Amino acid sequence: MRASMASISTQQFQSVSLRPSTCISKHGICLNVLEFRSELRLSSRYLKWSRRKTERNFSVGANSSPVNSDDDKRVEDEVVKMERNIVDSENPFGRLRGSITSLPPVVFVMKRHIGTNFAVGMCIAIAFLIIAVREYVARKSRYNRPGSVADLVKRGQLRSDRRGISSPLKYDDPFNNPLVKVGKSNSTIEMCGKVYRLAPVTLTEEQQSIHQKRRSRAYQWKRPTMFIKEGDSIPQDVDPDTVRWIPANHPFATTVSDIDEDLAQNNVYQKHGVPFRIKAEHEALQRKLEALQSVLLEIQRLHTPVTISSSI
Amino acid sequence: MKFFEQLLHCTGNNVKFIIESVCEGDNFAAVVMWHLESQMLLKNVSFLFDEFPEATEGVAMVPDFICILRSAGETPFVVVITSGKGGVGKTTTTANVGLSLARLGFTIVAIDADVSLRNLDLLLGLENRVNYTAVEVLNGDSRIDQALIRDKRWSNFELLCISKPRSKIPLGFGGKALIWLVEALKSRLEGSPDFILIDCPAGIDAGFITAITPAKEAVLVTTPDITSLRDADRVIGLLECDGIKDIKMIVNRVRTDLIRGEDMMSVLDVQEMLGLVLSGLIPEDSEYKSWVSSCFELAGLAFEQAGWRLVEQDSMKAVMVEEEPKKPGFFSFFGG
Repeated sequence: MRASMASISTQQFQSVSLRPSTCISKHGICLNVLEFRSELRLSSRYLKWSRRKTERNFSVGANSSPVNSDDDKRVEDEVVKMERNIVDSENPFGRLRGSITSLPPVVFVMKRHIGTNFAVGMCIAIAFLIIAVREYVARKSRYNRPGSVADLVKRGQLRSDRRGISSPLKYDDPFNNPLVKVGKSNSTIEMCGKVYRLAPVTLTEEQQSIHQKRRSRAYQWKRPTMFIKEGDSIPQDVDPDTVRWIPANHPFATTVSDIDEDLAQNNVYQKHGVPFRIKAEHEALQRKLEALQSVLLEIQRLHTPVTISSSI
Repeated sequence: MKFFEQLLHCTGNNVKFIIESVCEGDNFAAVVMWHLESQMLLKNVSFLFDEFPEATEGVAMVPDFICILRSAGETPFVVVITSGKGGVGKTTTTANVGLSLARLGFTIVAIDADVSLRNLDLLLGLENRVNYTAVEVLNGDSRIDQALIRDKRWSNFELLCISKPRSKIPLGFGGKALIWLVEALKSRLEGSPDFILIDCPAGIDAGFITAITPAKEAVLVTTPDITSLRDADRVIGLLECDGIKDIKMIVNRVRTDLIRGEDMMSVLDVQEMLGLVLSGLIPEDSEYKSWVSSCFELAGLAFEQAGWRLVEQDSMKAVMVEEEPKKPGFFSFFGG
């Protein structure tokens, strides 16, 4: 039977299997599963040691100073009982009972192992300290990350006084939606567990014109009206500023086409009838068919047998 | 003349005085044909609707009611949806806003102007119905109405793809081809569509130039990260150089929890950096990806609102900012 060591050892109190068997685990082969399973993860060695110590104490106490015959008998009974317990430790049920009864009170245990507790407390304190330091470093680095909100505020590209809105707007719920809870001052609302506040848009026309002027100074651009493939020459009557160079593999690269601009424009404006190219192909096909038919007729006429009438 | 002075004074700056014709009459009389045009028709109509809600309900039952709202301009309204950076949600925005507008009753034609990497048909679930594209129309293999693919759920929504993956579009046509297509759509027998949405490819090369050629307005899609914003700023500059001044912004993939923790720029920060009016705010929604993969109904509430702002030529006046939830006090256990 295969048993998982991890699942056994992570739990402090584990039910014990009643059937001894051989198991193979990460830690090697253990012949007695029950003996293995009854070990507790964190305090396993400790409990074993305490159990042994308890047993030792009991056996020492039992042998040291008997008071009277009744006490003797009682102590002997206890010793026998303990011996039986020890003998019965091979019995899985007995081992479990023994381990439970031999568990000392926590306070008693704590007082006896102050050194270990101090070490555990120190480890926990150090862990909290490391977490706090990491959080602080992460928060600090967030402000130094280029492009972050804090970085933009530091560089003066975003206003820092907008972080708190000075004059909040009043929220008016015209639908009286029961799912929307309006705050006491009507400036906040609560929806779906989140609290929102109305922030007014503060962009003025003056600011808009400032941005437009900034962009007009920064970007001088004339829209190109002609796309020419790289390597081709510019036509003579074309302004070079209106030319846009396109690489040869650009989707706008031309194929061999016999459609000129006027024809394309006419094709776009067509509202009725068969499209131009379809019509042209159809007409060409028809002309070809007629030509073939006339050729066939000609051939048939040439090959018809000539009847010779004899007058004799 | 005093009458006209008083009339113009009363109507204010929102009304334009248009003289159609002037002719001479008898006895030193002049006949002038004139009319007034409202430049703020939409805002005036909205004001009236707010003041008289009962009357509004009655008017809303009129079949073409919604089309009246955008009547202060010339249809079709050609809007290019661009971003610069790839992967921010242009195609998703085009599909969602287009379907939202179709649901509102507008006639929409969406053009996928990405020549090499076509995705809009995939997002709309129409990939198996693309038989003809704009290239076939240019070559004369089909008419434009044969190349338009009508959506089965919303019959007033149509899709036009520029080309199939392996076909090549003639080099010199590029932007002109799109202009011809828009003109042809405007004069088609079924009537001009209300909106033509052009899904622009990423980048600022030939595909971008082609897509913006026929556009009069632009919707810039961006995400709240610095790389996307820099590319968006460049694209805005190019659009403004090309004469497209009406540019609105939609911020996609907004995470309110990251904004609260200052790990992401807020929408107001994005607006501060780009200086554009805010037309929409699309939150990051994990369920949305399942919609995309299954091609179900794509229109979310945020996209519907963005579409409606596109119709009204309006912008967002406030945004919702997530805050830390209030910690329960000592007496909250007792219901305090």
